[in-house]
Amino acid sequence: MTFKIPKQDINFKPFMNRPPDYKLKHEIMRTDRVYKCEVINIIELTAEEKLFHLKIIDPAERAIFHFRPGQFLMLEVPGFGEFPISISSSSNNQEYIALCIRKVGRGTEILHRARMGSRVGIRGPFGTSFPMEEMVGHNILLVAGGLGLAPLRAPLYWVNEHRDQYRDVSLLYGTKDPSSMLFTYQYEQWRTVNRIRLMTIVDRPDENWTGRVGLITELFKEIEIDPLNTYAIVCGPPIMFKFVCNHLDSLGIPMNRMFVSLERRMHCGMGKCCRCMVGSTFTCVDGPVFDYWSVMNLKEAI
Amino acid sequence: MIYKVIGKDEFRKLIEGLIESNETFGPRQVDTGKDGQPIYQFRKVDSFDDLELDYNYTASSLKNFFLPFKELLSRYAFTDDDWEQGIEYRVNPRVIVGARACDINALNKLDDIFIRGAFPSPYYMARRNNTFLIGMDHMPPEDCFCESLGELTVRQGFNLFCTDLGDRYYLSINSSKAFNFLKKVKTSNPTAEDDRKWIERRQLIKSSFQTEVETDELPDLLDIEFSSPIWKKWGDKCLNCGVCAMVCPTCYCYGVEETIDVSLKQARKERQQYSCTVVDFAEVAGGHNFRPLKEDRLKYRYYHHYHGFAENADQQICVGCNRCGRACLPGINPKDVINDLILESGDDV
Amino acid sequence: MKYLGIDPEKIKIGSFDFTCCEGCQLQLANKEDTLVDFLNLLEVVNFREISSYRGEDYDIALIEGAISRQDEVERLKRIREQAKVLVALGTCACFGGVNQIKNKFEIEDVVREVYGDDPVETLPVRKISDVVKVDLEIPGCPVSKEEVEKIVVDLVTGAEINFPKYPVCVECRRKVNTCVFDLGLLCLGPITRAGCGAVCTSGKTACIGCRGPAEEANYEEFRQVLKEHGFTPREARERIDFYGGLPEMVIDES
Repeated sequence: MTFKIPKQDINFKPFMNRPPDYKLKHEIMRTDRVYKCEVINIIELTAEEKLFHLKIIDPAERAIFHFRPGQFLMLEVPGFGEFPISISSSSNNQEYIALCIRKVGRGTEILHRARMGSRVGIRGPFGTSFPMEEMVGHNILLVAGGLGLAPLRAPLYWVNEHRDQYRDVSLLYGTKDPSSMLFTYQYEQWRTVNRIRLMTIVDRPDENWTGRVGLITELFKEIEIDPLNTYAIVCGPPIMFKFVCNHLDSLGIPMNRMFVSLERRMHCGMGKCCRCMVGSTFTCVDGPVFDYWSVMNLKEAI
Repeated sequence: MIYKVIGKDEFRKLIEGLIESNETFGPRQVDTGKDGQPIYQFRKVDSFDDLELDYNYTASSLKNFFLPFKELLSRYAFTDDDWEQGIEYRVNPRVIVGARACDINALNKLDDIFIRGAFPSPYYMARRNNTFLIGMDHMPPEDCFCESLGELTVRQGFNLFCTDLGDRYYLSINSSKAFNFLKKVKTSNPTAEDDRKWIERRQLIKSSFQTEVETDELPDLLDIEFSSPIWKKWGDKCLNCGVCAMVCPTCYCYGVEETIDVSLKQARKERQQYSCTVVDFAEVAGGHNFRPLKEDRLKYRYYHHYHGFAENADQQICVGCNRCGRACLPGINPKDVINDLILESGDDV
Repeated sequence: MKYLGIDPEKIKIGSFDFTCCEGCQLQLANKEDTLVDFLNLLEVVNFREISSYRGEDYDIALIEGAISRQDEVERLKRIREQAKVLVALGTCACFGGVNQIKNKFEIEDVVREVYGDDPVETLPVRKISDVVKVDLEIPGCPVSKEEVEKIVVDLVTGAEINFPKYPVCVECRRKVNTCVFDLGLLCLGPITRAGCGAVCTSGKTACIGCRGPAEEANYEEFRQVLKEHGFTPREARERIDFYGGLPEMVIDES
């Protein structure tokens, strides 16, 4: 007597010509296959950070890749590892994806040696995004510390592309020292063309610095905030967003109108590996964008 | 569910037939402990007699038949200045005999995450869909507390479940595959006497638990007692060795590593079972550790198990098998930690 | 690797043995299935187990063994001057290894015991980093060839080298082994750095700590564990002292 169990293949189509529908089981292969990209531009921002422009090589794949401001991707450097990076370009940009990457750890160090034409992979986009539509008709206050400007660039592009829909837009940006300030070449454009009120501050000035000195909270003394008509997007080290959000809270901005983007180590981006958990919440699927009320309720967030 | 009754001789024929045609795994004695007691694990079996169906518990769980400790996710083949990704998740069909109800419930919880979650895992699904799972009831070991968590009985997630009625098994048939196989051996419809014995057996098992753990209030309690001193007390005992998570039937946290072959011609991307109690679990590139203390890490494991995560519908994922408690050298175990937590919160009042 | 613009360069290595059994060097010549690929990554300038050629223009010096004689000290210092990267290879080089057991006794007694009436010059045993600056330590008695392969690939591609921070238990349980404590053995797995693939415990023998400490090993609780499992302080100390890689695990015998 024999009982041979028939083999059940999970036979997924290797490629689909539209975004995957995760409810359809036969489409789930997309979750582990990367989109192959070519590095088409590298901009050295600081000694530690470079901006990479990646173009998805396959035109069909490029056509189906869409993201919203605040979402992130998993960047794969074959052989060296995969890491989460928030997207720093316009969600309207069909040509390339910009990623601002700090040299820290095995994968990023290798990536920093990449040159034009190098090929890397991306999976995603993953995670939650900033509610740009909800903010229409309001003032927007963007507050960034250090590398935190990178994830704010996508919502900033969105605002610039829909500038008439929003009222006053301010960007407060603080870094440790002048040399670690990112995207300085765009400030003039943001100020004049996009009518963004941009203020910068550094903690440790050098001899050439003529701007403001101090912590980012200093900048609040110089601006007036209309708490009931303002949405805030805050991104930076935990200690910074805690101070900033507490301040904004004391001004009366409702907690559910303040958004932060959290950073954690991630190995999957899909709510599985649990490396990015904050309390009982996944930074990768429930975040990385949270409103401040949710962050307050997360154990171990700050 | 369809129910049948099968004599143990006929059952043996069924299992022998399965073993003959498929790779089959079941409980086997692998060692004898220093206390003279047998130590069991799920291992490959070549004949019915290899199986020890009266085993008390296996030291490690069934989890890793579905989430291997080390699993190849993809391969990168390097060519001159390019690479190609290769993904493979075909597995051969196999049979697992003798899974306990709590082990099957644990798999059902993993299904919530890896099949019904936002991003289903094809690797997991391939293994789950190609496994013919035969469950079997048992008298609870003295330190098990699956009854406290409502994991004593199982109604899905298996092909066949056997309730032991002495000289025969009362079968719960949960798949057409199992139903078809059973056509080839002698079974009968349960009589009123069989039904009565089934109920008796269930009641006997239910009343045999010696360990009870109060878990209903835990989701709230874990929030309220987030900074309780008991975490330091138990955290100080933790060796950060990760053994609890390795043997656990539901701990699924993992890490992904890539290795370039020494030929430099290809690289492997592998998933490795990890543990949240291990020192660098929450460490980010650059060295910052979001959970630098032993107590943070241990608390996090309890948080995951008894608070529940959104991804698995906020369910508690512990099934009460106490494998972690048995495996822990310093003796950290859910019953004592939870009782401590409940006592501590009582002190506050 | 060219996809990133990395052109892997062969590394010029010299391998040198001091007070040891040369087992680690021999280990490098093991694992035949990948040996050709492995050697392809290396330009062997000086390596007794692999080639009779003796050159002096190595970039990476693999140092095997501990230091127990004055002439070894001078030889090691000359190698340090030549090498761009100096690697302590194996437990003896990293921690003193079995050799350092000698330091627990009076040196005259040791010499008499081993060499009888024909004494030799000998110093207390030192690990390599006690004598010269060490750039990289690869522990293991012997080293794991698989781990060395990984490290060589990292060196060739210029990637950051990582060692597991967790203890041997993680790897041991991944292999679904029976915990050897359950078999009545005194195992140092819970405080010893993983990376060996738990070879010893997979063979049902206890871990004796050849890879040194896991990060943030919990010595205090481990002492308690040993006590509760009925091991005497003397048994514990003998086990700990064997390789000298766990100096922070102090056993009070009183």
